[in-house]
Amino acid sequence: MSVYLEGVLALMGINILMALSVYAILTTDQLSLGNAGFMAIGAYTSAYLTVKAGFPLMPALLIGAALASLLGLLIGIPALRLKGIYLVMATCAFGEMVRTFFLNFEPTGGAYGFRGPFGTTLPLVYGWVLFFIVVFWLLDRSRLGASLNAVRDDPEVASSLGLNVTALKIGVFWLGAFIAGVAGGLYAHHMFYIESSNFNFLVSAMAILFVILGGMQTFWGPVVGGIIFSVLPELLRFLKDWRLFFFGAALVLMMIFRPSGIMTRQMVRDAGTWIGGVFGKTRR
Amino acid sequence: MFVQQLINGLMLGSTYSLIALGYTLVLGLLEMLNIAHGDVFMFGAFLGLTLAMFGAPLYVAVIAALLGAGILSVIIERSCFRPLRKAHFLGPLLSTIAFGILLQNLATQIWGSEPLRYPQTTEIAQFRLGPVQISSIQVIILATSLLLMMGIDLFARKTRMGRAMRATSENQINASLLGIDVNRVITFTFFASGALAGVAGVLTALVYLQITPFIGIRQGLIGMVAMVIGGLGNLRGAMIGGIMIGIIEVMNDAYLTASYRDMIIFGLFFAFLVFKPEGLFGTTERRA
Repeated sequence: MSVYLEGVLALMGINILMALSVYAILTTDQLSLGNAGFMAIGAYTSAYLTVKAGFPLMPALLIGAALASLLGLLIGIPALRLKGIYLVMATCAFGEMVRTFFLNFEPTGGAYGFRGPFGTTLPLVYGWVLFFIVVFWLLDRSRLGASLNAVRDDPEVASSLGLNVTALKIGVFWLGAFIAGVAGGLYAHHMFYIESSNFNFLVSAMAILFVILGGMQTFWGPVVGGIIFSVLPELLRFLKDWRLFFFGAALVLMMIFRPSGIMTRQMVRDAGTWIGGVFGKTRR
Repeated sequence: MFVQQLINGLMLGSTYSLIALGYTLVLGLLEMLNIAHGDVFMFGAFLGLTLAMFGAPLYVAVIAALLGAGILSVIIERSCFRPLRKAHFLGPLLSTIAFGILLQNLATQIWGSEPLRYPQTTEIAQFRLGPVQISSIQVIILATSLLLMMGIDLFARKTRMGRAMRATSENQINASLLGIDVNRVITFTFFASGALAGVAGVLTALVYLQITPFIGIRQGLIGMVAMVIGGLGNLRGAMIGGIMIGIIEVMNDAYLTASYRDMIIFGLFFAFLVFKPEGLFGTTERRA
């Protein structure tokens, strides 16, 4: 496999993870525009552990993600007070705080960036992607998933039915931050070099774009969105320097003509029926 | 020198106020964020700078940026807000992020990614008032922004269109039942919002920063902070919020380390959203 293709595929996997991290939080109708912050924490922590403290990659990834998820809990609590664009702005503020923190934090290189982490392989990236897909697949079929849906549809009714809305809302922040932390660790060990601007506002924004354009009704949306919008800029390479311009234009047009995203719940159901039909089983 | 820093902060802050006002106008009307607002600012700055390079005097550059950025803002409304008016608030949010990416890359194609400096088209005189030193450019910046702020404030309170704007932001359906052409009001508001950002762009380019295609990201975020601190949907609050941020920034650079400046500003932003979402001058009514 060529180095170019391997690079595109690895970043695609990391993008899928970032999309899933936004999706996790979005399951309770909370939108985070600060997931690059969680990604940065996972990236810097795991990179520091492998390069400076001699940790093997996997434990370093897990510790980085655990630290990110801890921050996720801390953000999830004040986030309970906020809704809609106010939550968007607050999480955006959080992301920028983390970025400027690492810009100035000398132990991880500050403005010079941090050099040295390596070891991300495609099987490792897609192992994690598969792991989280299974998590969401199980969640979709569990009581917990149903509770999350209830909170999204109407938090007041959900709470009057005895669901612990507070715990659920904080919990998804924990999960989303964990996934972003893993994505960050994989990213750092893929790039060999990280600097604070790798985790800027646009990274958080792109993660949301993957979800919304892929579709936010099912977890297949972020997966498909991550794939398509990692491949699209590569396919647009023939446009040379204009490609990101057309990428932006394509997104604006898509929002006008298909605001519900590419993958809808109905499509997943139809696909399920179709696959069931092919293999001679009827689903549901 | 404390007074000198205070004045420098006031000047810098007044450009933030102009950006914050643009956010506030749109947010007050539609309850939606225009993420591409910072990029409208960037476009205005480049437009003024280009004219100045061809030798245009400052006032021509300012007026061109005002008109150009205003029109750009209307284009954003037409492509990102109007088609999605009935959609979830996420729709326009996302569209404007995409539009921002488009503008940043368009600007890179037109003006390149090297930072550009505003050519000196006017004589700079230095005034001394006791220990305080002020340049004529700073006076121009402050005067232009204050004039625009007072203008928009008077406009919102005294004119027919201003009243229509306020009525529409109270309740869009009622406003349209009362015979207000809501679409016209929205178009006008976006024009005003963009125009203010465009002027802020030229004024900022004059002294504070070299202009790059990605300058709008930070300036846009800072404008958002100013809006939140001042009180959402509150025009005068946005003006004061901008000036406060300018003063905080200058004071921080003078007395603390400059590198932690943005951490302090974004920390303040976060704290306000969580603990005082109505801002300093907003009403206690929670909008969400």
